[in-house]
Amino acid sequence: MNHTPVSSAPAGRSANVVFSGERRDFRRLVTRGALLELCTAGFYRFWLATDMRRHMWSHTSVEGDAVEYTGTAKELLIGFLIALAILVPIYLVYALIGIEAERAQAFASIPLVLFFYAFAQFAIYRARRYRASRTIWRGVRFWMTGSGWSYSWRACLWTLFGVITVGIAMPWREAALERFKMRHSYYGDLQGAFVGTGGRLFKRVWWLWVLSLVPLAILFTYPTIKGRTWQWWVSGIRFGNVRFESNLEGSTLIGLYWAVFGWGLLILLIDGALIAAAFGIAWAVIGSNGFQKIAQGQILAWHWYAAYGVNIANYLLIALAVGVVVRIYLFRGIWERIANSTSVHGLEAADNVRARGDAVNALGEGFADSLDIGGL
Amino acid sequence: MDNGAPQPVEATPPAASMAPTPMPTVFFDGLSNQKHVVELRFQPQGIDLIENGWGIGTWPYADLRRADGPPGALRIACASTLPLARLEVRDPALQAELIARSGALAPNAAAERTQIGRIVAWSLAAVASILLVVLYGIPVLAERLTPLIPDAFEQRMGDASDQQIKLMFGRRTCDRADGKAALTKLLKTLAEAGDLHVSLQSDVLATPVPNAFALPGGRVYLLNGLIQRAISVDELAGVLAHELGHVTHRDHIRKLIHDGGTAFLVGLLFGDVTGSGAVVFATRSVLDSSYSREAESNADAFAIVVMQKLGRSPKPLGDFLFRITGAEGGGARGSLSILASHPLTEARREIMTAADRPITGPDLLSPAEWSALKGICR
Repeated sequence: MNHTPVSSAPAGRSANVVFSGERRDFRRLVTRGALLELCTAGFYRFWLATDMRRHMWSHTSVEGDAVEYTGTAKELLIGFLIALAILVPIYLVYALIGIEAERAQAFASIPLVLFFYAFAQFAIYRARRYRASRTIWRGVRFWMTGSGWSYSWRACLWTLFGVITVGIAMPWREAALERFKMRHSYYGDLQGAFVGTGGRLFKRVWWLWVLSLVPLAILFTYPTIKGRTWQWWVSGIRFGNVRFESNLEGSTLIGLYWAVFGWGLLILLIDGALIAAAFGIAWAVIGSNGFQKIAQGQILAWHWYAAYGVNIANYLLIALAVGVVVRIYLFRGIWERIANSTSVHGLEAADNVRARGDAVNALGEGFADSLDIGGL
Repeated sequence: MDNGAPQPVEATPPAASMAPTPMPTVFFDGLSNQKHVVELRFQPQGIDLIENGWGIGTWPYADLRRADGPPGALRIACASTLPLARLEVRDPALQAELIARSGALAPNAAAERTQIGRIVAWSLAAVASILLVVLYGIPVLAERLTPLIPDAFEQRMGDASDQQIKLMFGRRTCDRADGKAALTKLLKTLAEAGDLHVSLQSDVLATPVPNAFALPGGRVYLLNGLIQRAISVDELAGVLAHELGHVTHRDHIRKLIHDGGTAFLVGLLFGDVTGSGAVVFATRSVLDSSYSREAESNADAFAIVVMQKLGRSPKPLGDFLFRITGAEGGGARGSLSILASHPLTEARREIMTAADRPITGPDLLSPAEWSALKGICR
């Protein structure tokens, strides 16, 4: 890296990142959001994602100044619609090429799936660009340059390399891709950089992956790997001479993942009880006689449609409940712990930053959403 | 308003009128991230921002907008200046004064409720319109588009699936000449009775699975298991006639258009165009299978007409199907019958029994030809 960090800048101004959000507020926000998602067949997700980000951003501050998220749900909706308009012809062409390829050789169309992997990488990069350019601190925005496609082919080659090396190369993949992203990131006229190395990450997590082979050990190792990776990531971030550092302990996240695990079990238990109750109601309505009829094949269509409706409603409720739990613990929880573990050094370098860069569109978010890889 | 050039303010405010506040108001001008500690002076039309006695801008009340700020602070943007210029007011008294003077700064619960109502209403409208299109529009579309798709395309689709079928069954086709001749004869008789003008190809695959299927473009596959379990020519002829029904109705193209369109629209609804989500899958399986059930019933009707035209009864077909699948009413399969792509075997058997006719036509194959067909894989 040409960006040598000031590792021992004398008399640098330092500050802790502070996250001050209340879990109660966030819980109310995501519960209400999940109910509205149910009422709107999922369309509310754009508003919910925006509200969640606004909440998290505005409660995260450095030296008393909170970050601000200026994105809007309408931008996400438009990004989604444009992504659809672009994806539809691509899907058609994809289907036609698939038929031609299969004609020449059975299952020859499978490699076409790789195209969508590349597309997903493009979407990931563009979505990050959108989020960065909607992030404001002290009246100056973060922004990114760099082409989504040039990121995409790098990511694909690194993934290929990772597969060839049975995953050993993955830490270097992380580091290389993060270097690409941060090199193209700016806060005003301060250019970003990433100084974390694949070797350091490898040293911190390789034995945990090996340990994961022991049954059930993954319950401890996975959250620890996550925690150590986050710590490595934050500590590698630079903007000009501003350094980020995290003292996140690997074990800090274990509780969060266990909470999700426990809530998941509880939800399944409650769901089992509900299904038993529904069965009881069905028994009361059509009686043992009715069940016998069903067993003999004399069935009424409405019975099945009713059963089907109950099943779908049940699935939706589980999905929404799990969604709420995941958002509370894995999004807000992890964010809170990372933020509160982070300190920023060399802040005087960020004292007179000129505003530069523009807001970019949410097309990447739209692609990510329609390809089912949307984060947050 | 121009925030860039500072202008002197006449009558510098005396310190008394602006009591020094322990919580300073901070201004970011949107050009740099430098903190400007400012004092606010309320004018009839807007607020003057005063830094060290110099006016550095005026923000009209009408243009003030609430921006997301940290708890306790009122962060304000101004519509008529740089988009990222921000004023951060921490003094509660000042906050109250600003909110009193500018309506847009007050939290507006009613407007928020209206907005949510609007989102819900529009979403429900979108759901309704998509469902209507799926239920009524797409079947019509598939019906109308199918004749427009060139045969060459269907042929190509057939070639593609042919490759997959051959690979799955290990390319074990049965080619004994006398058996093939009998099969070709049977198929030809049925095609003529059914008025089919497609070039038909047929193959027997050496597998004990009792099944038969048609591929796009007029390729019919019989699996040897089915041939072995048939006890009369008419049973097998009925099955072949059913498959020819799919060919003549071009059900593959129709299904392609129908299922593709449904997958896309339902995916649109739940925000997942690739159609991988479980809800999408569940919804699609109900919609698609009801559509296939219709196609199967039509193919059955075609088989009945063909058999009757040849002076044979469709009843053996019904019996044959029943013998192979068994009663579907009970058991695990029965519980999903609304989802199964074929109608209930019992129902089909009933329809075919009702269409029973005394036999008036000649046998479709001679006993010698029938035993040749039975031994095609030997």
